[in-house]
Amino acid sequence: MDPDRPLLIPLDAPGIPDEQIVGGKAAKLAHLTRAGFHVPRGFCLTTWAYEAFVLDAGIVPAIRMELGRKSMDDMRWEEIWDAALRIRSTFLTQPLSRLLQTTVAEGLQSFSSSTRLAVRSSAVGEDAAGHSFAGLHESVVGVCGTRAVEDAVRLVWASLCSDAALLYRQELGLDPVRSRMAVVVQEMVDADRSGVAFARDPRDMRRDHAIIESVPGPCRLLVDGLVDPDRWVLDRATRDVVSWLPGQREDSDPAPLLQAEDLQHIVQTLLSVEQLFGWAPDMEWTGRADSLTVLQARPIATVVPDDDEKRSWYLTLRPGDARLKALRQRIAGQLIPELAATGETFAAEHLEPLDDQQLANAIEQRSQALVKWKKIYWDEFIPFAHGVRRLAIYYNDVVKPDDPYEFVGLLRDQPLLATQRNSVISQLAQQLASNPAVRTAVEELLATQTHALPWSDCRDALLQRGEAAEEFVHTFDELHERFLDVTFDNERLREQAGPLLRNLVELSQSSSSPEDRRVSPGHASATLEEKLLVAVGAERRAEAIEVIETGRVSWRLRDDDNLLVSRLDSQCLRALDVAATRLRALGRLTGDGHLDDSYRARLVCELRESSSAVITVEDSRKSDVAQSSFGSQGETPRQLIGQPASPGIATGVVRCVSGRDDLGKFRRGEILVCDAIQPTMTHLVPLAGGIVERRGGMLIHGAIIARELGIPCVNGVRDVTQILKNGDLVTLDGHLGIVTVGAADFDLEIVK
Amino acid sequence: MDTGEPLFDGDATPDLRDASQVTVRAPIQSLVNEQAYAVLCVQGGGQPYGALVAFAFSEDLRFAVFATPITTRKYRLLSECDHVALVIDNRSGPSSELMEVEAVTATGRSHVVARGPEFDQWADMLIARHPYLKSFVRAETCALFCVHIVRFLHVARFQEVRQWIPTAHS
Repeated sequence: MDPDRPLLIPLDAPGIPDEQIVGGKAAKLAHLTRAGFHVPRGFCLTTWAYEAFVLDAGIVPAIRMELGRKSMDDMRWEEIWDAALRIRSTFLTQPLSRLLQTTVAEGLQSFSSSTRLAVRSSAVGEDAAGHSFAGLHESVVGVCGTRAVEDAVRLVWASLCSDAALLYRQELGLDPVRSRMAVVVQEMVDADRSGVAFARDPRDMRRDHAIIESVPGPCRLLVDGLVDPDRWVLDRATRDVVSWLPGQREDSDPAPLLQAEDLQHIVQTLLSVEQLFGWAPDMEWTGRADSLTVLQARPIATVVPDDDEKRSWYLTLRPGDARLKALRQRIAGQLIPELAATGETFAAEHLEPLDDQQLANAIEQRSQALVKWKKIYWDEFIPFAHGVRRLAIYYNDVVKPDDPYEFVGLLRDQPLLATQRNSVISQLAQQLASNPAVRTAVEELLATQTHALPWSDCRDALLQRGEAAEEFVHTFDELHERFLDVTFDNERLREQAGPLLRNLVELSQSSSSPEDRRVSPGHASATLEEKLLVAVGAERRAEAIEVIETGRVSWRLRDDDNLLVSRLDSQCLRALDVAATRLRALGRLTGDGHLDDSYRARLVCELRESSSAVITVEDSRKSDVAQSSFGSQGETPRQLIGQPASPGIATGVVRCVSGRDDLGKFRRGEILVCDAIQPTMTHLVPLAGGIVERRGGMLIHGAIIARELGIPCVNGVRDVTQILKNGDLVTLDGHLGIVTVGAADFDLEIVK
Repeated sequence: MDTGEPLFDGDATPDLRDASQVTVRAPIQSLVNEQAYAVLCVQGGGQPYGALVAFAFSEDLRFAVFATPITTRKYRLLSECDHVALVIDNRSGPSSELMEVEAVTATGRSHVVARGPEFDQWADMLIARHPYLKSFVRAETCALFCVHIVRFLHVARFQEVRQWIPTAHS
């Protein structure tokens, strides 16, 4: 070992170590140890150890490859999460060099093999004034044995590139590749009381107040937000208690968790720490009286509110297990049934008989419901999506598979609403395939279509064809009733049967049903579940089952909630349409543009207080003429890069799908190009030769369905919906994430 | 510096020394060891074409290996004509001192390596040199090319050119 570049420094080593070598947390702990405070004994693996690992394992180029695929400014959070998952997988699957293994073993010599250890991050600049990485890097607690410590160290190192840490570093303008992480390994000390103390009130930084928070049990219960603490405000000068707020805990003893003597001891220690460092600390502690132990001390974050808000927001993207469990219970048990019932109620309401006032009220009621549910969508449904990601990390940490997306097999066969709908669509396509007369009838209907084709008209026409069409009509009735009351690009799918009938004709000409096309790139769900449960061991079996179940419910409901909210949207549009029809008949509304929510206020006003003004509905629909970013003369796209979301290679012509009418234009074998595959359009996927999406992510609908059906998919392609146009010939490579535009032939250059 | 000749064009200054003067191997070895990327030169229908590739050389310098997706121009051109050149140099930027710049042009013939033990051997060599390319090289749609090097032309001090034929001394 190079003495100038030590890989390990004990916390009680002489001298105060350099923060650049041991990180902020370890430097402060070493300082506290030297000053005689009670600090759990342990050692620090320095940033030199981190550098040795990332150099040995070739991790720096791997990080650069992941983050260099495109500008981070252009990456959606899901893409950054994906990159972080792959980087994490690289960290976890690379072995420690013999030298690093020896170093860890050396550090553990003073502990018995059964000592429970905490392995904690200590990144350089982690707790510097002006920003705080609190909560963004990982700590692993309850670690026993050399092998487990090595795994935990890799996990902590990997958290330097977690999604939240990457995003926060991006905000601060820090390069993740240049960032370095030391790791503190300490004996765990858990007492019956733990908590956090602040030398100032962090809410207003009042200089005359100190704050003490306490929970029963280990400190992580408070830090992870799992237990509501008792909270004291103390006068720093007199050390008197100014106020006490008991925590809201189940089966809570009404008595305060700490006695006056405990509080005095903690505040004395807190002020001593302040004196030692010369700044107001935020101190994590455990134990009481003489056993009071300092777990961590750092400056109270005096970050600007904006920065702090961003960090907090990043943290909300990965709620802890307790929060996920609570979300699952509330969403599955209460919110989704309530959302579904609201849609049912609106759909059952007859709007035509209502008078103008009642209709105006109905429009407002629907609009308010939609606003309410969209807020719930953002506040609760989206955070619950983390259930799938939690499952991914849990599975990868335990199983350490070569493919970091192997866990996706655990999500198979969930009864998604979209899957149920696609099953009915598949049934209809098979009916057309096995009954040429009905298919011909449908094709004739479509051929004569000159404008909107409501299902009621189709239905009557098909029933005239006799018994052969009855089965098809009744199955379509079911589809229409159960699944088509949704919107696509602000239009109701129920309004026109034409696009879906065209899709059915195309699907009926496929040589196989979507179910037949399904490939099994991974293992069956049950096999993976067994693999995880065996790897995790009997002790954590119940925990693993909980994580799997939450992941599955998260996956299912995060698809269903889109369709259910879309139904509310559809019902809002339905009420607006009734109002528009009524006003149009009275000559108070003109124009044949698309009616959307922007007309709601005027329509309601007109219904409530009839005025002489005429509302004109203008055609504000966006032009579907692609505005290529390769607009300058002589510049054309040749090769676009994205994320390899589903393996395979496909060549075909582009069909851009952005609106309802585009759905019906889609032909078998075309390359589906869109912003993102919506749950309302997944039935197109079996028709597609390949899929290209602007939105990136390995866990978004399009990617997962494409992988299930064995259809090549590249997503996260910047500006692709502007760059590619209908009819463009492209070759997409789902193994490498490349879309090649034009024929692959090499043109001989000829000077003209 | 008005020579009228293009820089580093070994063929333009046929100052080829005795091939038996093997000391040129050392600077060639240094270049291929120190540099990660080469300009791959191919042709098709009379049209030259160049592309940057990550490479690795065998220890005896008789073989080079690189990978490319099968959807690329270079793959198409290499399928039609197996004559290639790889240009490797040590420039670090626009201000590189001309007299300190070294370059080597390796010429030879390439072939796609079929999946199997030979593929694994060459792929491992390339991945060992470029670990971050592991998933790229192993992807089904990536082709691995092995170049049988016939000749090296080493250029230093602006115009000093030496040729080395690796097979001549094996």
